[in-house]
Amino acid sequence: MAATTAAPAIRVRSVQWGRALRLGLPLIPVLLLVIVAVFGPAWVPYDPERIVAPPYRAPGGEHWFGTDSNGMDIFSRTLAATRLNVVVATITALAATLGGMVLGLTIGMGESASGVWGVLFRGIARILDLFEAVPAVVIALVVVAFSGTSIPSLVLVLSIVLMSTQARLVRTEVLAVRNEAFVDAARMTGQSEAGLTIRHVLPHSAMPAMENAPVVFGQAVILTASLGFLGVGLPPPTPEWGAMIAQGAADAAVGRWWPATFPSIALILAVVIVAFLIPRLLRGRRGRSQG
Amino acid sequence: MTDVRVSPTLDAEGRRLDGSGRGAALGHWWGLNRWWITRIAVLPVHILVFAVIAFFLVRAVPGDPVLTILGGSVQYTQEDYDRVQQALGLNGTIGEQLGRYLWQTVQLDLGTSLYTGRSVAGELAQRIPETLELALIALVATVAVALAAAAVVVLRPRSWFARLLRLYSRMAGAVPQFILAVAFIFVFYATLHWVPAPIGRTDPKTPPIETVTGFPLLDALLTGNLEAFGSTVAHLVLPVVVMVLATTDLLLKILIASLEKAIDAPPTLFRAATGASRGTLLLSAYRRALPPMVTMSGVVFGHLLGGAVILEALFGLGAMGGYALEAVNTKDMVALQGFLLVSAVISLILFLVVDLVNMALDPRRRPGVHVGDA
Repeated sequence: MAATTAAPAIRVRSVQWGRALRLGLPLIPVLLLVIVAVFGPAWVPYDPERIVAPPYRAPGGEHWFGTDSNGMDIFSRTLAATRLNVVVATITALAATLGGMVLGLTIGMGESASGVWGVLFRGIARILDLFEAVPAVVIALVVVAFSGTSIPSLVLVLSIVLMSTQARLVRTEVLAVRNEAFVDAARMTGQSEAGLTIRHVLPHSAMPAMENAPVVFGQAVILTASLGFLGVGLPPPTPEWGAMIAQGAADAAVGRWWPATFPSIALILAVVIVAFLIPRLLRGRRGRSQG
Repeated sequence: MTDVRVSPTLDAEGRRLDGSGRGAALGHWWGLNRWWITRIAVLPVHILVFAVIAFFLVRAVPGDPVLTILGGSVQYTQEDYDRVQQALGLNGTIGEQLGRYLWQTVQLDLGTSLYTGRSVAGELAQRIPETLELALIALVATVAVALAAAAVVVLRPRSWFARLLRLYSRMAGAVPQFILAVAFIFVFYATLHWVPAPIGRTDPKTPPIETVTGFPLLDALLTGNLEAFGSTVAHLVLPVVVMVLATTDLLLKILIASLEKAIDAPPTLFRAATGASRGTLLLSAYRRALPPMVTMSGVVFGHLLGGAVILEALFGLGAMGGYALEAVNTKDMVALQGFLLVSAVISLILFLVVDLVNMALDPRRRPGVHVGDA
């Protein structure tokens, strides 16, 4: 008798543990990334922008990841670059998502309007489709060249380039939501159009864009690195993964693997951690609230 | 079940247009072919709209491009400023600027490079085929690999190879092309010596390719220059493999999802019930599953074009990407504006092809055709 009552209790506890583990495990790399981004530059063993050793020291010993063609410490540079790349991508993802929501809501609600505004909003909707057709790298390259390179201008350019996807996602949802009865009901209670859009339409149309934000983060990391790789990013001694990989590419061609490898691994890890693990975390949370 | 309703004037069967005379025949022809004619007709509109966007985009970014070009030199005079401003087309009101810019663009005049003094349109026209060749080869290879890989996943879902492919498709977009390229250069060139050095399009010793069409591979074949052809192929293998590996996952992810849905759909069951062969079943499922992937391949082409620009720098192929980078480094705004517009035109043409392929595969996607649930 005792055995039959004990068995389910154990199973319940193990299910809870399993759930905690499923939720907790992906959290560890995410936290690690945040910690490295925040404290990384303070922890570096060497100045990431100074020549600290002869060039091309192989990894090991005093220089864990070796030194690059200038004689800078690759471990210090990779670690220090984390803050820049992660901060730029985070702000970009937030700005692109927020901007995309505003744009998507405006277009989605205004599209059916008659007269000039309706035509204008329908036109913007088509323009967003056109934007999707052109490679983001190309647009970013040209705009960065015009605006000059600094962290604020980089963030602005990336946000503009990546905003169109978010705006499209929100707009699609708005088109589905705006004819719902609760929107008409809110309208009849005398709420202003802007007020009911924010209070009733936004909560029902924001989810796809929010879920896509980690992907935008990944795209922003890759775009920043692509620009750095092309030599259009921030000026040279600044530690940045793309620029480091570009510098290491020439070394890789003559058989020195380490200068490009470590920043590459850091970049892929950052993208995978955010773009793949955070959605899993969000899904886990939603699953719990439903269950 | 869905039923396809065609509005009377465009009756696809031509039943309402069976009157005699040339007008009716022409009307019938128009009804049958309207879908692709109208789609092609809007292309110039799209290009013009993008030209306007590009115009405002480069003017919306903060900073004064004139000052950027004059750079650190504090010693510029008002005359210098006016000269650069005029060369950039930034003088006059915004309306005048736009009018001038659009008029030039319509005449295929992209301006004169600030740095070399040569026509931007001419310089780009010379370089486009080389970049386009790389991107198109990669696109065809990517689509072919995705189609074949999806068949493996659907037909042998439990094999280890299918599991591996599924895992790969989930990685969609995580590894940028240039990282893969650097890794491959290290492994296949520096370590294994399987491919030639990533410098240039051919070995220095091979005879030069005469220009016929501008596409290097095609020209080498046309002029019977087999040595140069082989060398070009050898130099393109690595960039193409990198592009295929880095982008096939995007297509595969979508294709697997829609193929699995199509295989369980009623049309497949109906065909199976009529005793159709396995090949017919698969072909029918593919036809119904393809449109999302075809749409995605338009986006993938954008990735490949952007990737070509980056990989050209890495593999020393310097065509359009090389031109753009040089323009960035010399702050040649006119050349960059031209580069942006030309890249957009190439992408928009590919989107046109994507739409046409989808309309051909699925008549319900054609304009003027209304599909409703019966």
